Amino acid sequence: MAKEKLKEYAIIGKPTPNVDGPAKVTGEAQYTIDMTLPNMLYGKLARSPYPHAKIISIDTSAAEALPGVKAVITGKDTPGGKYGLWRRFRELSDQECLATDKVRFIGDPVAAVAAVTEEIAIQAVELIEVEYEPLPAVFDPDDAIEDDAPMVHEDFPSNINATRHIEWGDVDKGFAEADYVREDDYVTQPIHPAALEVHNSLASYDKGTGRLTVWSSTQSPYFLQLGLSDALKMREGDIRVIKPHVGSGFGGKNSTMPDSVNAALLSIKTGRPVKIVYNRDEEFQTTEHRTAQHMRIKLGLKKDGQIVAMEVKTIVNGGAFTGLGATDLYLTGTFITMPYKIPNYRYDGVRTYTNTVWGTSIRGFGSVPGKFCAETQLERAAKDLGVDPLQIRKMNAVYPGYEAPGQYTFESCGLLPCIEKMETRVKEKWPKLEEDEGIGFAAFAYMSGGIFNWIDTPYAFSSAHVKVNIDGMVDLYTQASDIGQGHNTVAAMICAEELGVGIEDIRLHLGDTAHTYTDLGAWGSREVLMNGNAIKDAAAQVKNKLIEVARLKLGENIAYDLVSKNKRVYLELRPERGISYYDLVQDAIRANDGVPITGVGHYTPHNKGMISPAYGTGIMAVKAKTDKETGAVVCQDILVVHDCGQVINPLGVRGQVEGSIHMGLGYALCEEMPMDEGNVLNPSFVDYKILRTRDMPEIEFIEVPTYEPNGPFGAKEAAEATIAPTAPALANAVFQNTGAEFVAPVLKPETVLKAIRAAAAKKQGK
Amino acid sequence: MKTITADFEYFSAATAGEALDLLAQHKDDDYRIIAGGQSLNTFMKHGLLKPEIIIDIKGASDLDYIKYDDKEGLKIGALTTHRKLEQSPVVAEKYAALVDMEVNVASVETRNWGTVVGDIVNADPAADPAPPLIALDASVVVASKEGTRSVPAEEFAVDLYTSAVEPGELVTEIQIPALPANTGFYFTKYSQLHGDYALASAAVLLTLDAKKEKCVNARIGLGGVGATPIRATAAEDILKGKKITDELLAEAAQAASEATEPISGIEASAEYKKELAGTLVKRVAKEALARAQKA
Repeated sequence: MAKEKLKEYAIIGKPTPNVDGPAKVTGEAQYTIDMTLPNMLYGKLARSPYPHAKIISIDTSAAEALPGVKAVITGKDTPGGKYGLWRRFRELSDQECLATDKVRFIGDPVAAVAAVTEEIAIQAVELIEVEYEPLPAVFDPDDAIEDDAPMVHEDFPSNINATRHIEWGDVDKGFAEADYVREDDYVTQPIHPAALEVHNSLASYDKGTGRLTVWSSTQSPYFLQLGLSDALKMREGDIRVIKPHVGSGFGGKNSTMPDSVNAALLSIKTGRPVKIVYNRDEEFQTTEHRTAQHMRIKLGLKKDGQIVAMEVKTIVNGGAFTGLGATDLYLTGTFITMPYKIPNYRYDGVRTYTNTVWGTSIRGFGSVPGKFCAETQLERAAKDLGVDPLQIRKMNAVYPGYEAPGQYTFESCGLLPCIEKMETRVKEKWPKLEEDEGIGFAAFAYMSGGIFNWIDTPYAFSSAHVKVNIDGMVDLYTQASDIGQGHNTVAAMICAEELGVGIEDIRLHLGDTAHTYTDLGAWGSREVLMNGNAIKDAAAQVKNKLIEVARLKLGENIAYDLVSKNKRVYLELRPERGISYYDLVQDAIRANDGVPITGVGHYTPHNKGMISPAYGTGIMAVKAKTDKETGAVVCQDILVVHDCGQVINPLGVRGQVEGSIHMGLGYALCEEMPMDEGNVLNPSFVDYKILRTRDMPEIEFIEVPTYEPNGPFGAKEAAEATIAPTAPALANAVFQNTGAEFVAPVLKPETVLKAIRAAAAKKQGK
Repeated sequence: MKTITADFEYFSAATAGEALDLLAQHKDDDYRIIAGGQSLNTFMKHGLLKPEIIIDIKGASDLDYIKYDDKEGLKIGALTTHRKLEQSPVVAEKYAALVDMEVNVASVETRNWGTVVGDIVNADPAADPAPPLIALDASVVVASKEGTRSVPAEEFAVDLYTSAVEPGELVTEIQIPALPANTGFYFTKYSQLHGDYALASAAVLLTLDAKKEKCVNARIGLGGVGATPIRATAAEDILKGKKITDELLAEAAQAASEATEPISGIEASAEYKKELAGTLVKRVAKEALARAQKA
């Protein structure tokens, strides 16, 4: 049992407006895309029109001759460094600065231009003449693994980028003991993170010092620093990455991308700052997306609904490069089992290289496609067995202390209380359904930061530096990233709570590699738990130093405990006996020979399994109505019962839950990236459909608090768990109403209409 | 992959007369007229249009009006924005379904700028105003220095993104006749998102006889299911002169569906859109009938 318990705090758990809110809503907040520097040049990339082709020659002379053009570079002008996030296995660092011998997808950059205006840069790109020899290309993962398939990367036979096998229990015995076994096939669609701020970077190289500064719209300044170091063959310390405000990432801004690399190369060449901004078309055609998966699941149950065995096979359309796809492949194999007790389990996943833009770690990564498949399959099984959909989830639900052998352990887990709350609330909320309405459920769990070190860092996963100045102002330095999710606010709240000061006493210095200790950045819902622990550790060190001084000043019996809260340090049992924090700080600094009081905290998970120290859990219900003549599905109402441990900022949690549902519902209703021979067919916000405010249903949101022993103040993730259940809960609502079964998440009206008719035909056939 | 608009020469007109002068002057040049710019800007930013000359009529306030009288019906000036049509009390009173149409045209921001006339001149077959204008038997007034002519709404779009407007001409007004007694008019579009382009849309106008038994007139406009908006005359003929029953509506819907020539796209196949158009006609006609019976 956890030693600490949920308790009342001064700041933690109180609705706290975003510290960046005023700057953002008034337009004062600076994003990379807003920045210019004196003497700055504009960069543009020349990109391949072919999905797969040999580069025979590149003639840049006409581009170079265009007035206003200051530099043109091709692959031969680069240092030849290869880069990627999977640095632990160098063969998976498969991205080049600019393609040298061949291009691997439509949009692969082959040259870069810097000019005095963006217009001239665009004209110059059009003047670059590239002679290509088109090569046979491969687009489908099933084709990619054929022996005679064209090879995307020469070192990877059968285009196998990564494989994962996961197994526990005795699967064959499990299926033999099952009363009911079913197999279902799925093909999930790719979707784009579609961040509002496109990929863009501003690089400034100082020829005098040989040092490079890069401002970029990134989720992880540290990852970008490492990526640039590999790509440019420069020392890490000679590269400073600064992350201004970021117009969101949703997983698509973990990888180092050609905008940063080529802005840097062009700045090094010209000695002037260079900025590269992708346009929306480039964003959709050439940046990372959620991968398509071809999945088969076999599920064995007892007739009462108890799961006894599960087998999953998936083949992933990885695209041209690795990104975080290899991690996605592993997580698919584990998250698909959550949040259920599965005694016997086997997973085989293959990620293939193909000649398309590549897939990576989009919000809820590893969980979203797999959960669609598993939760819709479970619903079908429940119906066949005559077991109530909530009951089947309840009887199979994981509990505190549940361990999937060798993989993961749930320490805190509020899933059962969440399902119990759902049982009562759903009846109150929707006592009666219309003829065209249905309710669907899906349970969920997601990590609070990953225990993965593919980036191969020897640093702690998270660290923070806290410094208290003479006026009581606290400087908090950490490389953690606020990318719109609200981590600046959470970081300030955690630091202020631990020190016992106010949020206004905290001055934030986040996301600058030159001035902060390392943090791996914003992905996998890691910042609250991992960065929060590091901040809390650093702040506790400072607090303890202040308390030592207070103890001397107050001269009290050493048996008394001192606390720091509400800007005072006082005796816990005699609150009237204490000292003002501001007075105390002055004495403490004097006593410290005039040096501000500092602490450096850190956090790296140990002995917490293969995935994460903690998991947010819960269950979602969706009410939807289906038009049986048109196939139109309307998501009317959503109810979520959610366990994210101790809530740090209720406003932030609400925003993250709603944001996740928004993305999940887009995946469920309209988001997709159809491609024709590697060409993305809908590269604009006219054709790539994103739900807007009017398209969103009401969301009722109930927190079931738990105390997570691994998290700061008992907190765990809240940013991603609710994306994965949205699509299957919607599909299950349609299934309950119409019997329609779906092989892909996107419930476009035509798909729904066909599925309704197929279900009706199947029923008649019986 | 461009998002930067190419250079152009810019002229502005403060009156309709000035606009016609400018058009006469640049009749043979590569020009475009801008009013709200909601479609034109997008085309230009994507490099799909690179006009050398822009003639801005936004300042021609004599084209900014909505007028109605029982004899002449509704007149919508060329500068009337979608938002003004949406918020017009007389439109709400006399042609309520036009307001229903407007609230689902793109977003408020777009409706604040975009004009109804600009929308039909852009001739996107999936845009909203054309099918209801066809059903309402509207006509489009096209002016030039030489004079004016009137084009029936169903003949106004001649092809994908191509209207009947000739070089040197300006659309000054849309005219919609006053509705006769015992008339019901309704419109619906189906799109996946609110405010999105139609996968299919249908507008139906029905006029019943004095006893409200038989249909004396029917007009049906369809959107999103062909290179231009479509008038479904065969379906209209099925309804005319008869008492409208569910069976008759199904028959008319089938005829309307057969009149469509949709193309397959990302969102749906041609086959689906064809069927959807029929379903919409059936539902919209039913509502129009209910409104005619109440009228």
